[in-house]
Amino acid sequence: MLRRSYLPSFVVIVVITIAGCERRGGCTGANCGTLVNAAISEPGTLLPPSSEDVVANDIDEQVFLKLADVGMSENTIGDEDFQPLLAKTWEWDGPLTLVFHLDPRARWHDNTPVTAADVEFTFNAYTDSTVGSPFRPKLRRIASVTQRDSLTAVFRFRERYPEMFYDAVYHMRILPAHLLRPVPRDQWRTAAFGRKPIGCGPYKFVSWQPAQSIELIADSTFFLGRPGIRRLIWRITPNLQVAVQQVIADQADVREQLVTPENVERARAAQQLSVYTYRGNVYTYLSFNQRSPDDTTKPNPLFADRELRRALSMAVDRASLLKSALGDLAKVPPGPMSALLWIWDEDIRQLPYDTAQAGRRLNALGWRDHDGDGVRDKDGQPLAFHILVPSSSVLRRQYARLLQEQFRAVGVRIEIDELEPSVVGQRVATGKFDTAILSRSNDPSPSSGIAQTWTRAGFGGSNFGRYYSPDFERVVDLAGTATSRDKAKQLWRAAIETLNADAPAIFLYALDNVAAVHKRVDNVQLRPDSWAAVLRTWRIPPDRQIDRDRVER
Amino acid sequence: MTVAAWLLRRVLASVAIVFAVVTFVFILIHIAPGKPCGGQNEIVDPAVCDEVNRQLGFDRPILEQYGLYVLALARGDLGYSFSLHRPVRDAIAETIPFTLQLAGAALVLDFALGLALGIYQARRANRLPDVIIANITLFVYSLPTFWLALLLLLVFGEKLAWFPVGGPNNPVLCPVIDSAFCLADRFWHLILPATTLGLVGAAGTARFQRAAMLAVASQDYIRTARAKGAPERRVVLHHQLRNALLSFITRFGLALPFLLTGAVLIETIFAWPGMGRLAFEAILTRDYPLVTATALIASTMVVAGNLVADLLLGVADPRLRVRTASDLDVVTA
Repeated sequence: MLRRSYLPSFVVIVVITIAGCERRGGCTGANCGTLVNAAISEPGTLLPPSSEDVVANDIDEQVFLKLADVGMSENTIGDEDFQPLLAKTWEWDGPLTLVFHLDPRARWHDNTPVTAADVEFTFNAYTDSTVGSPFRPKLRRIASVTQRDSLTAVFRFRERYPEMFYDAVYHMRILPAHLLRPVPRDQWRTAAFGRKPIGCGPYKFVSWQPAQSIELIADSTFFLGRPGIRRLIWRITPNLQVAVQQVIADQADVREQLVTPENVERARAAQQLSVYTYRGNVYTYLSFNQRSPDDTTKPNPLFADRELRRALSMAVDRASLLKSALGDLAKVPPGPMSALLWIWDEDIRQLPYDTAQAGRRLNALGWRDHDGDGVRDKDGQPLAFHILVPSSSVLRRQYARLLQEQFRAVGVRIEIDELEPSVVGQRVATGKFDTAILSRSNDPSPSSGIAQTWTRAGFGGSNFGRYYSPDFERVVDLAGTATSRDKAKQLWRAAIETLNADAPAIFLYALDNVAAVHKRVDNVQLRPDSWAAVLRTWRIPPDRQIDRDRVER
Repeated sequence: MTVAAWLLRRVLASVAIVFAVVTFVFILIHIAPGKPCGGQNEIVDPAVCDEVNRQLGFDRPILEQYGLYVLALARGDLGYSFSLHRPVRDAIAETIPFTLQLAGAALVLDFALGLALGIYQARRANRLPDVIIANITLFVYSLPTFWLALLLLLVFGEKLAWFPVGGPNNPVLCPVIDSAFCLADRFWHLILPATTLGLVGAAGTARFQRAAMLAVASQDYIRTARAKGAPERRVVLHHQLRNALLSFITRFGLALPFLLTGAVLIETIFAWPGMGRLAFEAILTRDYPLVTATALIASTMVVAGNLVADLLLGVADPRLRVRTASDLDVVTA
């Protein structure tokens, strides 16, 4: 008989032994495979019009389909580079009418056919203010969507422009009208559908364990071909470092962004991992608020002055900041853009780093160190301002300190306000800041992102610094209507150079994304705007499968 | 009858305290800077935010919102979490089992190990084992919990791969507990976070318990028990320990709320889906209904824990039992 004193040890050993032995599953063959993604946030809902966060987007990519999608080239002009999804073919019926023919094989996961009525319903839902979709402004140039017959959807546009096709297909994932029509639109946020979606994509929703995991399973009858990996699991971890540890410890297979140089090094050292670098879709900048924080109807006493902004921009050595904070994991952006955009061009003219010239310009503006305290002043007012930065971002806090030091060298005093992200969001949205280090993500089109953030269209929206230049906006309008990609690129270049000369912000860094993926996964392709967009083509060959690939549940 | 009256008085006072706390938290979170819109790391378009706030009623005057909240609360409705897109009641109900498991395991380790060490140290006071254990417990007690958690994760999770790196289960094999294997898997995932919490707690408990045991060791009744020839085991466990339990019970009562309120840092670091993590993320996203509900539960547990501790003190020490109305002030002091 087991002595009582040994009992606890015995129990612990039994528990560890049982838990340590993975059950051998039954799946064999080419269509097995389990991919565990270490996600660092949990979606609020999986209902596409209401979900803008990254993880929800990744999951929705698998469960729902667009009519067509951008290709790996990320070309948003015309329709040549787009890949058919729900729409088998399309044609232009006049300059303002686009006709999509749906693939008759497409089925919802409850086996109901996908029809043009679903497309019409989807457009009406996305553009309904009651739904409050963040994608609604991006659809403003589409006048209507109607059904010609059960498999033909007709899009009518308000005007002609090169990215008509992109606007028609990129922002909307088609929704099942037969399931969502009975739900009142003002209750969509609370709808059960958002936590148990039924789509028509390559993967079916299986389960959502709150704050733990979300599981999908391949639709073996998917009309565009059976997905290569059978099970997809998003393992939810509220902490980047722990998520990275899970991948390194072989308890997860994918971490799509490692973010810091240290994490990249650790992933490279892990034998079972491959590291992939791909273009990032985020850029970070120091925004100068051109309106007074105390009264947003009045100009900012400092930053309304274009020459002062230019001088301050010249005082910052962005290349050295980047080197010390990020090594080779990022680039200095040539303007308000991430490396994702096809208009990225390192030859775009920018203000030089030149502290001597910055000093001379500040002197010329009357900002001199009259009292010898190391800080420039004018009319008794020191040249001093605050940098607002979210406390949750280690990188941006680090940048704030580095900027503080560089500005100090030219006689500018900086105070750093590190605040909770929700407070930063509120202060930035209401204009209560001097400067703020902000990040913006781009979708593949320069037209939507740049116009929303740097023109008057973004006032009250995401043009937080309230930058306005009639010259810039005129060229942006021209670029948005250019008929060829080369012509558009020239115009965008001119527009960005105009903006750079006005220095509404200092563009600090554009991160490259570095992903860690288990080596057993084959055919890994990461599309920069959405790493999981072509996940259905990834494979785990039978000879590389491990225990978790074969698990049946 | 007198005890019943005392109990009724304490319960009524507790309800008032909980109501006051909820009111205070409701007002505080509403007037705190930051808006209930967008995620933790993103700035959402203000126009979209305004529409969301309008739909959720956050654009109404705070008094009106408070009145509606109290009315809903009276019906047992804790509101709707906009960050989780679901009723607060459901979100909390799902976290409670996880918090109970983690906090329960940690408290068992804390008090069992702490009590045993404290007794052992007291019996060997100022001798080598006592000195060694005292230094070790002081070292462990002084460790920041989050640092210990990260260290254990790094060593036992990443480097040695003996234990899972975060989460309450293996999502591939056991997304839900539906077998003995999955139950064992849950225990396996529980070991690192519970050990982190329990070890630090046990170090503190051991030091308190040692001091309490030594304080009663020199009492007359202990000497009398020994003089009467009582076995040493009986002297320690029956006479010395029982009288040294008062501080332990007080600590236990104060620790009870932790069973439901969770441990914010540990739950976040170990990706444990408990109440602490839920409350923390609710505060970051300014999820007003969720924050207020977690405050409601936390304050209820605190007053309940104190009430239980007072009752247990009466059980452990007959001198503290209520006999007359005039004793009430002694008990509630």
